[in-house]
Amino acid sequence: MDLRKNHDIVPQDGIVFLSYGGVLSQALIAGMTEALEKEAEHNQLQKNISYKIFTIFIELSQNMMKYSVSKGENLKRSKGVIFVGRSTDEHYYVHSHNRINNADISKLKTALEGITKLNPEELKTQYREQRRKGNNKHEQGAGIGFYEIAKRSSRINFDFTPADETGSFFNIHAIISNN
Amino acid sequence: MENIFIESTQYTPEISLDAKNGVIDLIGKSYPENTFDFYGPLLKWVHQYIETKISTIDKTSINIELIYFNSSSSKLLFDFFDLFEAASTKHNIVVNWIYAAENENALEAGRDFIDDFDVLKINLVVKDQIEIST
Repeated sequence: MDLRKNHDIVPQDGIVFLSYGGVLSQALIAGMTEALEKEAEHNQLQKNISYKIFTIFIELSQNMMKYSVSKGENLKRSKGVIFVGRSTDEHYYVHSHNRINNADISKLKTALEGITKLNPEELKTQYREQRRKGNNKHEQGAGIGFYEIAKRSSRINFDFTPADETGSFFNIHAIISNN
Repeated sequence: MENIFIESTQYTPEISLDAKNGVIDLIGKSYPENTFDFYGPLLKWVHQYIETKISTIDKTSINIELIYFNSSSSKLLFDFFDLFEAASTKHNIVVNWIYAAENENALEAGRDFIDDFDVLKINLVVKDQIEIST
């Protein structure tokens, strides 16, 4: 897990609510969500901001749980790194970092580039179209997950850092602000 | 047909399916790992309810009070409402989408569902804001 860039992810003068790196499971995600709820309450976050943060946190961590790959392990043990915090300017962020196969980069890149270009109205329309389209197709899939994240954030940054010949690190940084 | 009650967990809502009175309640949070596995019994029950029971019920009430939920739960809710949308042309069905005043995300989600369904009646119901924390 490449954490050399931590200083870029976590603003030096901001507050980190939660950071985790390792194997992800549903029980852990639920525990961390509860911890975030307590942290949000302790810091007297506006409910609206809190719910956006929780939703994005759940979406990103469940994405990693389902799609992350581990180098040299045949067993599917999904690992990832996730941060939740506040930067100096009253903006909050959720940052996820995990390894993916290079073969999946173009698909993710196309999806995210498309979604991040949309204005809120287009986002809403496409989200609803995607949700309708998937009707009765109950496969796992990040299908509308990225839309869900985009709807709740004011900005999404993402990048892919090559790790080796087969894999890369995939970073998503979702910024949440009040409206 | 039988009633079903499922208690809430950290990541799944309390579910109450009352065939006798025609009342469905979903209360809590929803972000299961495998959403469609978790809600399989609910969808199965709804299918059966619409096929065999709904015609004997004056009014079917569906009360949804979800604080937050993941994207696959959102899709699940869409499919769930879609079953009732079709049945709405013949039967009296009302969805109450219940949200806390401060929870704009839930309100927005409710509005999206209203836009998505033409026949099914979905009411936005704002919940009393006062909560006693212990």
